Amino acid sequence: MEGEMCELEPASAASSFIEMLQQQQAEARSLAPTPTAGEKAAVNARKPVRVIKDSFAAYSSIAVDVANDEVVMTDEATFQILAYNRTENTPPTATMSEPKRMIGGLNTWVEFQCALYIDQANGDIYAVNNDTVDRLVVFSREQRGNVPPKRIIRTPHTTYGIAVDEPHQELFLTTQEGAAIVVFHKLAAEQDAPIRTLQGDKTLIADPHGLAVDSTRDLMFVSNFGSVATHVKPQRTAGAGDDGGGGFGSDKANWPLLREGSVPGTGRYLEASITVYPRDASGDTAPLRVIRGSKTQLNWPTALSVDTKRGELYVANDTGNSVLVFNVDDNGNVAPKRVIKGPKSMVKSPTGVFYDWKNDEVWVSNFGNHTATVYSATADGDVAPKRVIRSAPLDSGTPNIGNAFAPSYDSKRDELIVPN
Amino acid sequence: MADGNVSPLRAVAGQKALLARTAHGSDYDPVRDEFMITNFYAQSVQIYRGDSNGEVAPVRIIQGPKTQLVNPDKVMIDSVNREIYVPQGSKVLVFDGDGKGDIAPKRILGPIPGLGASNVDVDAVHNLMVVGGGAGRAGARFQVFDRTASGNVKPKWVIQGPKTELQRLQGPHAIQPTRGLIIAGVRTLEELGGPDNFVGVWDEMKGGDVPPIFRIGGPNVLLQQVRGVTLNFKHKEVIVSDKRINGVLTYYFPEIF
Repeated sequence: MEGEMCELEPASAASSFIEMLQQQQAEARSLAPTPTAGEKAAVNARKPVRVIKDSFAAYSSIAVDVANDEVVMTDEATFQILAYNRTENTPPTATMSEPKRMIGGLNTWVEFQCALYIDQANGDIYAVNNDTVDRLVVFSREQRGNVPPKRIIRTPHTTYGIAVDEPHQELFLTTQEGAAIVVFHKLAAEQDAPIRTLQGDKTLIADPHGLAVDSTRDLMFVSNFGSVATHVKPQRTAGAGDDGGGGFGSDKANWPLLREGSVPGTGRYLEASITVYPRDASGDTAPLRVIRGSKTQLNWPTALSVDTKRGELYVANDTGNSVLVFNVDDNGNVAPKRVIKGPKSMVKSPTGVFYDWKNDEVWVSNFGNHTATVYSATADGDVAPKRVIRSAPLDSGTPNIGNAFAPSYDSKRDELIVPN
Repeated sequence: MADGNVSPLRAVAGQKALLARTAHGSDYDPVRDEFMITNFYAQSVQIYRGDSNGEVAPVRIIQGPKTQLVNPDKVMIDSVNREIYVPQGSKVLVFDGDGKGDIAPKRILGPIPGLGASNVDVDAVHNLMVVGGGAGRAGARFQVFDRTASGNVKPKWVIQGPKTELQRLQGPHAIQPTRGLIIAGVRTLEELGGPDNFVGVWDEMKGGDVPPIFRIGGPNVLLQQVRGVTLNFKHKEVIVSDKRINGVLTYYFPEIF
């Protein structure tokens, strides 16, 4: 072959692709008309073609008002606190049970309420918010509807579990972000600071959820999912401080170290666990005992409740679709002494559990199937509940959506991925 | 096409999945058929097979001291250039798209005092990176950089000001690259929710105090506290999450495709 040859110019597929797209884009932009006012107005008022949402109550936490024979649930689907007669039992043919009282609406600050405490002396309802408004709300038993709480405690971000030690008038909260337990005076209000905090690597607290206090044994139990990083008091420098957001009340005494104190590179995954401390533990204190390991069946252990008489600890074992029962003095890789689990039990993604000492029953709120189920305290295995309270028709789906921040679209499967 | 009170087709959860219960970031990579989730507490980005279901472990994890991950909240994948972006306040960390383990970012935008990066998306057509975030006195804004910008550099232009109607940009935004558009949910300043939340569309190429080209919602049109948006190019839809509605809404929106 004679003549001059073109010199080969290597080009990556990516750059060619980009050039092609750039050309297409320029054409598309030039063709795009400026919308008219009418077109803009039509878009403005446009309705969605689809909405994935649970329109029924999804029970997340549960507690019994023993004195008044009521059971109270929080609902993280439609943001309510619901009270039913304790002996309510939804017939299989019924669509659902109607609550006797409901608290909900913007005035209530009720949103993602994930844990409950009921003051058995006066029926006050304490409901913990997770991840959105950083307020613990307290309602009297008489309140209903869209009413302001009788009291609010401003809490650290991402509180989850609650327990109250009545003899010492102390209120305990887990906080996921700080991997910490904060303790307030039970009657704290608004901007009151915690009276102590349990936080640090020695505690083995890691994405804590449930909390229970055994006042007779002076013990505190914490359930942990396992994700954690080390926290230290941050050094404030000019221009710093926006790596992770605001201070979230960090100037208060005994406030836990939150995102601003998270140490880069220390993130890790611990096993799911139940950690046990002296009731008054504070600072970076190691647990007295740790229940963890393959025999325990722990799988996203969420709410906890103690039967002080039998010395037993109930665990709502979310992803395990079970309720686990341990002895309060168990330690290490131990099997639960009883497990409520199976299709007859109706336990599905349980996030709440409550031991009713007066009636010797254990209640479970099943976030995965719109039910609250109740069993004899010694129930074991795949046992049918004694009673069921249901908030939705039997065949209704459960989207299980909670504060979905970042949906993404799977173009291969034409599916939506929704992290919660 | 899911609608109403439907159960998920698949769910990834449980101890082996290594997820924290509070997951605020996700993205899907159609090239490798993977999706990724941030773990705020364990300082990691966790990557899963696209068809994952049940209690499954991630196929890769980016985590460790070299990563500089502190509190990863949002994440996005640039499938064209094979890069993973994590906005992190004064920085945007950029990792190799195939990265795993304790790897250093391949480049870092920042640290830039006041960057306020809460979300990011890349326009691979125009080689631009759009950083969203900021609120309060600084005001919410989109800062547009060269896609490969690194260090403490000034944005090429900024979309900000009262006419933009930007108040808070909290969830991920999206870019429609062939039209040069930014699509984002604008949250108003109420803590629980308010009637003026909307999804807006801005011209990516016009900096300054420019109004949105389109807006869906607000005042009093369904949306109450919008979080993130993503696009479905196949069906010409915008998918929106809303905290107070506590759901995921899909809008047919052919005007932007």
